[in-house]
Amino acid sequence: MNLDLLIAIFITVVGASTPILIAATGELVVEKSGVLNLGVEGMMLVGAITAFLVVFLTGQHYLAIVLAAGAGIATSMIFGFLTLSLSANQTATGLALTIFGTGFSALAGQGYSARPVTLLGPLFPADLATHPVLRIVFGYSALVYFALIMVVAVWWFLKKTRAGLILRAVGENDLSAHSIGYSVIGVRYAAVAFGGAMAGIAGACFPLLLTPQWAERMTAGRGWIAVALVVFASWRPFRLLAGAYLFGLVMTMELYAKAGGGPLSAIPSELWAALPYLATVVVLVLISIRRDASTNAPACLGRPFLPSN
Amino acid sequence: MQFRLEKRPEPSKLMLYVTPVASVLLTMLVGAIIFSLIGYDGVGAVREIFLTPLTNSFKWQDLGVKAAPLIIIGVGLSIAYRANVWNIGAEGQYVMGGLAATGVALATYGMTGWWILPLMMIAGIAGGAAYAAVPALLKTRLGVNEILTSLMLTYASVQLIYYLVRAPWKDPMGMGFPQTRRFAADALLPNIIPGTIVHLGVPIAIVVALIAWFVMSRSVFGYQMKVVGAAPHAARYGGFSENKTIWLALLVSGALAGLAGMLEVAGPFQRMVPGFPTNYGFTAIIVAFLGRLNPLGVILAGIVMAITFVGGEVAQTTIGLSSSATGVFQSMMLFFLLAGDILVRYRLKRVIPAQEARA
Repeated sequence: MNLDLLIAIFITVVGASTPILIAATGELVVEKSGVLNLGVEGMMLVGAITAFLVVFLTGQHYLAIVLAAGAGIATSMIFGFLTLSLSANQTATGLALTIFGTGFSALAGQGYSARPVTLLGPLFPADLATHPVLRIVFGYSALVYFALIMVVAVWWFLKKTRAGLILRAVGENDLSAHSIGYSVIGVRYAAVAFGGAMAGIAGACFPLLLTPQWAERMTAGRGWIAVALVVFASWRPFRLLAGAYLFGLVMTMELYAKAGGGPLSAIPSELWAALPYLATVVVLVLISIRRDASTNAPACLGRPFLPSN
Repeated sequence: MQFRLEKRPEPSKLMLYVTPVASVLLTMLVGAIIFSLIGYDGVGAVREIFLTPLTNSFKWQDLGVKAAPLIIIGVGLSIAYRANVWNIGAEGQYVMGGLAATGVALATYGMTGWWILPLMMIAGIAGGAAYAAVPALLKTRLGVNEILTSLMLTYASVQLIYYLVRAPWKDPMGMGFPQTRRFAADALLPNIIPGTIVHLGVPIAIVVALIAWFVMSRSVFGYQMKVVGAAPHAARYGGFSENKTIWLALLVSGALAGLAGMLEVAGPFQRMVPGFPTNYGFTAIIVAFLGRLNPLGVILAGIVMAITFVGGEVAQTTIGLSSSATGVFQSMMLFFLLAGDILVRYRLKRVIPAQEARA
């Protein structure tokens, strides 16, 4: 295997893992505040169709990303209102949000499938990325760097800032946080909105970074894999990186197998397509064998907050 | 005028049953408004989706056929959710049930006999239960979240269909289409009303729901599911094993989803095709909630959901509305229902300003 191919594979892996990484980073913050939003897949689809329509109509990629984030926030607020203001069941509401996002995006994208748009180009000028090795560093679009920056930013926010400490306190012990005067619901609304924005941007990666078109359900369960990734990373931002690239590698192998290259194509393509999902199950199993995984979960995860009144 | 929420001493039984009806009505009202605002014929959409299937008697048979799998899967899910076991992979268990039944139908091709259909039914039930056993095993032995595992297995099961109909089970006379051959006559569900498409699955769905209602309200099993779901600590004191409950919840819901898969493949589909996963497994989640996790309620909720499916098809042909609008209406219903849940546990109390000032 020559260097060029290796570099090509590496770049594909980074691209494939980017939406999962962005969505998982957002969901990690949401869960750290004690909220389990299972609507990531639905919010991603809303973000994907928003980004597609904006690019299709205006050709503005960065505007598309911003509006996809906005659409993600708007969708997440349905979840926020139901679970935080009305203390509805979080699992059921998250599922409903995914069903909603699937239906809404299909409705909004009606008649647009298979219409091509242009991908978001690399961030740095092409002169910087002429050498193959430099391409590994400078050859990506802004979304890839955004994903990496957000991982560091979220780590820094949770570990080093006062606001991050408050957010973690709300997720670990909502009653104490409430009694010393922090707004549990307010913090959780902010976290859910952040998760919505990130899921929206993650959805935007599909038409802008991976396949330049709209297709119904084009996120294909990646939002759910992002939720699984947060468990895999045991709520630590930097572990998300390892997990996301692992999934990116599996998905890239599928692409190469389908392209009919070499030894990979001996295995039925359907098995390759099923592999990311099966790998998720295997990874969840491996992580639960390690003892510390579940103990690191935020203590209030998924529990509605009901101050005594 | 201001309102304040006040916790009820007991959950309101009245609100428990009023809110699902209210959420359907609200969905029709708000749906009409929203769809009009975004440039569709909102009133027409609501009329075609919610009313035409009821007023047009030619559509009643479609309602029965669509409601049957939703009721069967919804009953299983309502049992699991009662026990706080979140099986959301019913779609995958439905697929595996359909595939297992297809395996029997293809293996017995060329044979005749009354025993083929019952054998397919057993295979379907076993296939669905076996696929649900994976999350059950992982949950009870390793504490792996059943939401994620059951859902991931759903995505994998769809790929298994694609593989089987593309290669080993492909119809040799199918002109290259990726599908199995049409099942032999003895492997197809009989029609119960001549001249319609109503098949044996429709009465089976009603019987399943009635049995489940009886079991859940009258037996120790039903009591165990409810107690473990509502009060896990008390259940442990009472000697109910949590692991056993998780196993039962997943096996029962998986078995019923598998039965629905068998009935669909041997009924409407008559063969296995790549389009076999039709989201019944996901829609049944809404059915279970809308039916208040009560098997009798699930019958009604299954019919309501079938109305929106049939109505969605009507709206597609009459006013050109995308069938995906159905999903938007269905999720809207669930949103209203979840929002209404607060009225079950709390009551709205008018706050008189002077009183508040004193307090």
